Amino acid sequence: MAVLSKYLPGAKKAREDHFEKDDPRQYLMHDPIPRGQMNEMVMESMHATSWKFWMVFGILSVLVAVCFFYAWGYMIAEGLWVAGVMRPAYWGIFLVNTVFWIGISHAGTFISAILRVFKAEFRRPFTRAAELMTTFGLIQAGASIFMHLGRVWLSYWMFPLPNQRELWPNFHSPLMWDLLAITTYVLGSTMYLYLPLIPDLAMARDRSTGWRKTFYRILALGFRGTEGEWRHLHTAMNFFAFAIIPVMFSVHTIVSWDFAMAMRPGWSSSVFGPYFVLGALHSGMGAVAIVLFIMRYTMKHMDYFIRKEHFDALGKLMMMVSFTYAYFIFNDYIIQWYGGNLATDNLLHWLEEGPMSWMFYQMILFNIVIPFAVLWIPKVRQTPWLLAVVGLLINIGMYWERYIIIPVMLTINNMPFTWKLYEPRIEIYLTIGTFALFLLFYMAASRLIPLIPVWEVQEGQMAHTMRKIGKANVSTISDFE
Amino acid sequence: MQMTVDLNRVGAKGAIAEAAEGKWGMSIDRDLCTGCQACVAACAMENNISFVGEEDAGYGRTQHWIRIERFWEGAYPNVKIAGGYQPMMCQQCGHAPCEPVCPVFATPHSDAEQLNLQVYNRCIGTRYCANNCPYQARSFNWRDYHTMPERGNMVNGKLVFPLHNQFNPDVTVRRRGVMEKCTFCIQRIHKAQDKAKSEGREVMDGEFAPACAQACPADAITFGRIDHKDSLVSQRSNEGRGVKHLEDLNTLPRVTYLKEG
Amino acid sequence: MADITLLALFEDIDPAADAIEKLRHMGVTDDRINVLSGAPIPYKMLGRPHPHTNVSKLSLGGAIAGALFGLFLNFGTPNMYYVPVGGQYITPIPPGLIVLFEMTMLFALLATFLGVFLDSYFPNYRPMEYTPEISDGKIGIFFKCAENEQTKIADALGVLGAETIKPVEAQQL
Repeated sequence: MAVLSKYLPGAKKAREDHFEKDDPRQYLMHDPIPRGQMNEMVMESMHATSWKFWMVFGILSVLVAVCFFYAWGYMIAEGLWVAGVMRPAYWGIFLVNTVFWIGISHAGTFISAILRVFKAEFRRPFTRAAELMTTFGLIQAGASIFMHLGRVWLSYWMFPLPNQRELWPNFHSPLMWDLLAITTYVLGSTMYLYLPLIPDLAMARDRSTGWRKTFYRILALGFRGTEGEWRHLHTAMNFFAFAIIPVMFSVHTIVSWDFAMAMRPGWSSSVFGPYFVLGALHSGMGAVAIVLFIMRYTMKHMDYFIRKEHFDALGKLMMMVSFTYAYFIFNDYIIQWYGGNLATDNLLHWLEEGPMSWMFYQMILFNIVIPFAVLWIPKVRQTPWLLAVVGLLINIGMYWERYIIIPVMLTINNMPFTWKLYEPRIEIYLTIGTFALFLLFYMAASRLIPLIPVWEVQEGQMAHTMRKIGKANVSTISDFE
Repeated sequence: MQMTVDLNRVGAKGAIAEAAEGKWGMSIDRDLCTGCQACVAACAMENNISFVGEEDAGYGRTQHWIRIERFWEGAYPNVKIAGGYQPMMCQQCGHAPCEPVCPVFATPHSDAEQLNLQVYNRCIGTRYCANNCPYQARSFNWRDYHTMPERGNMVNGKLVFPLHNQFNPDVTVRRRGVMEKCTFCIQRIHKAQDKAKSEGREVMDGEFAPACAQACPADAITFGRIDHKDSLVSQRSNEGRGVKHLEDLNTLPRVTYLKEG
Repeated sequence: MADITLLALFEDIDPAADAIEKLRHMGVTDDRINVLSGAPIPYKMLGRPHPHTNVSKLSLGGAIAGALFGLFLNFGTPNMYYVPVGGQYITPIPPGLIVLFEMTMLFALLATFLGVFLDSYFPNYRPMEYTPEISDGKIGIFFKCAENEQTKIADALGVLGAETIKPVEAQQL
């Protein structure tokens, strides 16, 4: 293979910090190392656990046991009165969590599907990390929906199951659409996570022993890497990348329809669909930044795979998403404001100067002002911890946004006699529980499955060459598709 | 040329329900209402509504199917009644927003009585119907208030609930996790219909009344068939003072409020 | 004369492509050659015949099945048990489109996923001809040849830059 930059000696301990400003080796794709070495690094990052890892793991396990399983069990046994929901805020933090986690889950699909479709090369090392967020985020979202139900043990009545009375669920209901859409998305994104994982599982199978060998052998399904296998996989992944994008848009649009279809001031808005999708991407991108930061600094060898260029590209994406988000939120609120409907007017005043106005202003600050102001600066985008902080602020802001849309907006309705502010009770524990469960899943996965899609990185490195045009060396990408 | 559109044909939502036979309805004269809460008490007795207790009621978990909304001006103690009292209950909408949003068909529309039904044992507690009710007329069973241990007496090692003796046998007791709301005392409607049927006649106007109308000392609440032009409720509703709440939402409510004359 | 399976390992694509051509000249037909690689290599680069896949056909089949199921859910099930709600039709079209879309996508995705399993004979835990070096990025050419031709072919491939040429047995992965 005539690839100039196939192997550059001295790249073994490559850290982009050591490179000159225009050295192409600061980019992962131009800093190739032999595949075997890359495999070793990824395997080692899976095996390496320190006492810190187990300590965090233990704390999270306790949190999950107490705040998730015990608290949920207690709520099922006692009834929903232990939560803070009441009239008029019949929906509380459980649905805030649902929307939030579905939002987080959108980042995975966005990064791995949209960037794959558009062949954005910087996606390669972290598609899997983002896809894992999709799957694990959706688990939390699903759990939150079930927590919210008054009689969760009867939730199977929502499923379209054949029954003796031939009474099927109600397909007029936005919740039913939600169920179908989220089911499609959970299954679709899990399959989409698994397909590109098969070759990496085969790689792990070839270099492990003991129970890990059995684990990977079963999961790798006997993948060897024949031309046929690659071709089937490639066709399927291509189809998934295209097909899962409309599914992703439909999921969050339908989630927004749970609100937008209702006749309530503040909710009944036709811009809710795209506004929610963008909001989801906004929080998802922020979460990816946090995850990449944690990966880079806590896992072995990750500073080779996750580099400044990735944070830079992610920062640009975050900036773009925050513009679009600003556009949609403005579009939503100005129409509500201009319309002059009395109930809506009351609602806007409530947001502006009510007891929850601090949340409203923080939302604007964290979601729009801060990303807008700081992400222009390359230094901020390229400093991992700074980008992670921006991502964290965006996520707080997005959580507030959902909190405002659900319990705070529910406070104000057409019947002023019933106006009442919601106070979360056991929801706080269950929220901590879902966050802990997400992190626990992620930590377990980081030691069980290769977080870096090695074969995709290798494919990218094979495709990248430096080509001399005139007097300059220019990065060139061959089409390997 | 005058444009005529057959609403049933083009499918304007609710047009079918509006033209339906057998609509029961109510008129509430706000001039007569004194805000005495007798209807609220009667409704609670008739329909086995939970007593939620002071704390939960203060937090917004009252389960009354009918409530008296008070409107006032100023801050305590310098308050002035402004707008008076307004009994509010399920408006039994012809085109009810709560109905289509239930994923399990727990809130269907009844063809026979043209009422908005709540099927307690089908409800799984998504509470979407309550959110989509513009009248905030639905109440949720947050817990089993009927069987809270502190409400019972220990008799020979067994918990006995004295209040269970006042339950109306015609109405079920709802468990926690389900939604409930005003039924227009459908048990009384059926009783009257059964009686009339056994005597071979139609139900007469004013033959029976739901608990709230029966208890109202000022006779502010009138109940009857609103598809019969000569029933008392139709006459009162059409006398010129009648308004319907949030009519612009096209919910087609069956309750007419007679504004202060 | 019994056939044996030989494995030739290559580091790069170019020698591997040359080796495949050489094998063809020496009478080893394409269906007796199996190329394994740790990263996908387009068939054109290796000069191999286009591998056939049924995955896209299965996706289409899944999409059609899903559309039919969606139609059944929205237009079939409400007619089994009449429940009127909110002045809406029993089988309204706009929500039906949502159900139709979701079910079409779900079944298409499931069929695609299943297609990979069917076409690649997954899961398959029987012993197979393999060497772990393939997941290290090497290109492995597995080919069947007559036993008496073994040395001749091995020499020819060695000239082309094969790292190792050895007979392989099916092994537990």
